[in-house]
Amino acid sequence: MNPDLDLTLQRVIRAPRAVVWRAWTDPSQLEQWWVPAPAVARVDRLEAQPGGAFVTRISDDGVEFGPHMDAAFLVVDDRERLVFTNAVDSRWRPTRPDPIAMVAEIVLRDHPDGTDYRVVVRHGDPAARARHEELGFFDGWGAVTGQLAALVEGAAVR
Amino acid sequence: MAQYSAQLDGVFVALADPTRRAVIRRLGQAPTSVGELAREFPMTLPSFLKHVRTLEANGLIRTTKSGRVRTCVLDRQRLALVEDWLAEQRRVWAERTDRLEQFVTDRTEGEQ
Repeated sequence: MNPDLDLTLQRVIRAPRAVVWRAWTDPSQLEQWWVPAPAVARVDRLEAQPGGAFVTRISDDGVEFGPHMDAAFLVVDDRERLVFTNAVDSRWRPTRPDPIAMVAEIVLRDHPDGTDYRVVVRHGDPAARARHEELGFFDGWGAVTGQLAALVEGAAVR
Repeated sequence: MAQYSAQLDGVFVALADPTRRAVIRRLGQAPTSVGELAREFPMTLPSFLKHVRTLEANGLIRTTKSGRVRTCVLDRQRLALVEDWLAEQRRVWAERTDRLEQFVTDRTEGEQ
C-alpha cells in the first residue's frame, strides 16, 4: 500500500453482502450502475473466476458502444473478494493501459448494518513507463508526490 | 483526452530522475539561472543541460534568456496534472461506489 499512488475507499452499504456481490457479478446488474448516467454500459464478458475476462463497453447514446474496460480477474473469492487488473487484457495479453496500469481489489465483509465495503486501487509505478537507461535510479514516487503537493500548496499560500 | 495523457506521460518521464526532481525542488524556492543550478549538481555541464532540456520539453519548467544568462522558472500548472490525475481516479471510484450503493439499497428495500 502506497498512499501516494494507491487509493482506498471504505463504506458501509446497507444491503447484505450477497446482494452487493450479485450487483458486481451479474452482468445485467453491473450494467445498471457501472457508468454514470446518461452514459450506458454494456457488459460483454464477466467471468468471475481467477483469470476470467472482464470486458465492458460504454455508450453516450445507447446505440454506438466504444471500449471501456478490458481486464482480467486475478482473484475471486465468492462473496468476499474480487481482484482485477487492466495490466493484462481479457485474453491475457500484456497491455500498456493509458496512462498507468491498475489493480483493483474489492473486499466485502459482514457489518451489523449490512456490508463493510472496501476498495483498494493500486496504480503502477509511473516511472515503470519511463524506464530507460538514461533515466537512471528512481528513488520512490511517493516522496515525489509529497514534494509536489508541498510545492503546489506553497504556491497557493503565496 | 489523448493530449492530456501525452502531457501526463511527459510529466512522469521528467520526474523519473533524481536530478530532475532536485532541480524542480530548487526552482520551487525561486527562479534560478542555469549556471547557478549547474554548480549545485556534481556532473558535467552537458549532462546537466540534458536534464534541463528534458524538463523544458515536458513543460515542467520554462527558460528565458536575458543577455548571457538563461533563467529557469517552474511551471506549477504542469505539476498539478499529476495531482489532478490521482484526484480524478479517486472521484471515479467514489462515484462508482455511490451508484453501487444506491442500486443495492434500492433493490433491498424493494424486496422488503
